[in-house]
Amino acid sequence: MDLLAQILLNGILLGGLYAVMALGLALVWGVLNIVNLAHGSFIMLGAYVSWHLYTYLHIDPFLGLPITAVVMFGVGYALQRGLLNLIVRAPMFNTLLITFGIDVVLTYLAQMAFSADFRTINPSYAGNSIQLGVVVLPLARLLAFGVAIVLTVGMWLFLLHTRLGRAIRATAQNLVAARLYGVEPRHLYAMTFGIGIALAGAAGGLYGTVSQINPYIGGALTAKSFAIGIIGGLDNPLGVIVGGLALGIVESLAVLYIGATFADVASFSVLVLVLIVRPSGLLGRTA
Amino acid sequence: MTALRTALILIALAVLAAVPWFGSDVLVQFGINMLLLAVLAQGWNIIGGYTGYASFGNSVFYGLGSYGVGIAMVQWELPFAVGLVFGVVLSVVFAVLLGIPVLRLRGHYFAIATLALALVMAAIVSNVKLAGQNIGLVLPPLNNDVLFYESALGLLVVATLTIFWLSRSRFGFGLIAIRENEEGAAVMGVNTTLYKVLAFALSGVFSALAGGIHAYWVTFIDPESAFDISLNVKMIIMAVFGGPGTVLGPIVGAFSLSAISEFLSSEVTNIAGLFFGLVVVAAVVLMPRGLADVVRRFRKTGWRYFAENIRANRL
Amino acid sequence: MSAILEVQNVTRRFTGLIAVNDVSFALQPKQILGVIGPNGAGKTTLISLISGTLPPSSGDILFEGTSMAGVPAYRRARLGIGRTFQIMRPFPGLSVLDNVAVGALFGHGGGDAKLAKAREQARAQLDFVGLGKNVDQRADELGGPGRKRLELAKALAMQPKVLLCDEVMAGLNHVEIDEVIDVIRKVRDEGISILVIEHVIKAIKSLSDRLLVLHHGEKIADGEPEAVLSNPAVVEAYLGKRRA
Repeated sequence: MDLLAQILLNGILLGGLYAVMALGLALVWGVLNIVNLAHGSFIMLGAYVSWHLYTYLHIDPFLGLPITAVVMFGVGYALQRGLLNLIVRAPMFNTLLITFGIDVVLTYLAQMAFSADFRTINPSYAGNSIQLGVVVLPLARLLAFGVAIVLTVGMWLFLLHTRLGRAIRATAQNLVAARLYGVEPRHLYAMTFGIGIALAGAAGGLYGTVSQINPYIGGALTAKSFAIGIIGGLDNPLGVIVGGLALGIVESLAVLYIGATFADVASFSVLVLVLIVRPSGLLGRTA
Repeated sequence: MTALRTALILIALAVLAAVPWFGSDVLVQFGINMLLLAVLAQGWNIIGGYTGYASFGNSVFYGLGSYGVGIAMVQWELPFAVGLVFGVVLSVVFAVLLGIPVLRLRGHYFAIATLALALVMAAIVSNVKLAGQNIGLVLPPLNNDVLFYESALGLLVVATLTIFWLSRSRFGFGLIAIRENEEGAAVMGVNTTLYKVLAFALSGVFSALAGGIHAYWVTFIDPESAFDISLNVKMIIMAVFGGPGTVLGPIVGAFSLSAISEFLSSEVTNIAGLFFGLVVVAAVVLMPRGLADVVRRFRKTGWRYFAENIRANRL
Repeated sequence: MSAILEVQNVTRRFTGLIAVNDVSFALQPKQILGVIGPNGAGKTTLISLISGTLPPSSGDILFEGTSMAGVPAYRRARLGIGRTFQIMRPFPGLSVLDNVAVGALFGHGGGDAKLAKAREQARAQLDFVGLGKNVDQRADELGGPGRKRLELAKALAMQPKVLLCDEVMAGLNHVEIDEVIDVIRKVRDEGISILVIEHVIKAIKSLSDRLLVLHHGEKIADGEPEAVLSNPAVVEAYLGKRRA
């Protein structure tokens, strides 16, 4: 019973991190209709940015997250404005292909720049944990979870209550309507993509504190983010929290009861089931 | 099909068939890989190019074909041909059982569902004892690259002839109608569910056969390589680069991209992969409808073709 | 004389809205039945129910005496129910000829398996509707009136017994409307029963043998065109809607 509680808690903490990972993807997909196969690679890049800030400038990874986010925002904005805006009106399939190409490029650039060695971001307090009754909360994971929730709720509030956020939501519905908010579409698209990549970068920074990073983690992270986005539903940022938590818990339970090799089977089977039974996701509006 | 075009194709075919006799061993091996990738691209062409359902999970059929041959030959000591049939049967069953629910999804949801299926299958097979679990299976060796090369070429010819038949048959027209406007097709009498599943199964058959040949050729299969996810993107890029929904497009795409990739890795090893990615990005921006379309329109519009593509698709 | 198409107490509900409410009527063989009503009256929904694109929430539809409950759209098409779409649905990447050929390949009785023969039939239908010169154009290159004719040709290539026309005259000028009326009359002369949804009252008055009026999803009149159009309830439906 104690073990179950611990596993569930692990799942929840993991779920928070997963939610942030998927948040950027869901935003870009839901609003811009861009299915970003390179999403995981941007998470990877964010992790490396945080790692460099920590290793060379000694900036704490959690405190330095805003810097990572800003850097990645710039990358995302430039990419959208310079490249992705060129194919926005093409069939959606083309965004799949182009983001695949970008993924390949990013992975190779990372491999050349950072080598294939495994790295971690290990601030001195990372090994500590808090005891809460029968369960143990690793501090790094707890902090990551906290930041994740803040970011996700912040995202939700941003979309609902700020002018830019409403403009972004309007764009998802109707590009002409968005113009009425007085924001130029190309800029708006670039801003949205920039925010999505900034979130991915922040997720990467968090990821680096709880797991190892190398240039090749992008693929698996993209797959996970997709699963979370779809399970939770793309219409609502809170859906991403639900999706992340669901996946985190399912995976942790699967590892406990069926075995580690089945963790992936479990999560992707859930994905398939959700797609077949309720494609708009657990929290999405039915079509 | 003009007489000139037919003659050119036959000549090209003869040259390809003759490669094992004047080419080096390395060339033959490169050829086998390239031909099998072309088969995969043509298989994808049926469900993705003609029917408009972009499957990201055809690697499942490839894996089932590989393991069909592997299990039949290693565990049950049956001949290769039986193994191939077994692999095909597995693929068709899979296509029908899972195709029916998954083909109800549209657009990118279908793509992701098939991708998820591919990931699940890889994970499942690595836990099945009959399939050798994580360790995989070692097949009886057959050291005859020429035989494998000609088999791969023969398979490609069959696949292409099938697509040629498709493009001028009632079945093929139904698929195209589904791609262009599925509801319109249904109202005009096309049994869309049946046709989609048939197309999915047919594309699976070719992928399975390619997987079976490849398995016997390399004499070793394990879940990770047999159900390799990256195969999906490769076959899609090749089909789309060459021209989806055309008879020869995927072949052109497979041959040209394989050649580019091979050239890059031999000349500029380190950044070969990088250049490949850049080529893909450039191609999507400049020639989104594939090489076949470039060839057709370039004569009329010249270099403006590329600028026009961008103008039509930019925000 | 038994009706070729019978709609019996058909209702269709969407969340929060009843689009078609307990509608019943019969279409006789070789008859042209006009259906009019203000926007949002449920006319297109009614056609979708008959063609099988939407299932009814309750009620039944009989074609040649047989119930169509549970029969999918493609099979109804093969049995002989053809329709045109108000929001036109050509196959954009195909030529005009091939668009119509699909109908010949899959239509009534399962259609014909030979592509060449289907294309011949397609050519005949395109001549019939007046698009004979456009056969090789891409379908998405046709203008509005051309597309309307293409819709008709596609439906006719299926050799239907019943043709459901959804606003084939919208956006056409006087001359074009007269041409379409001619074509529809010719279609009826070929033995096909037709249900025509229209907004252009003058046109439908001269075309229809009988007139049906829908308002808020309900049938409020059914009879001779003259009588129906002077029915006070019908007049109020149109005028009353404008006042509101």
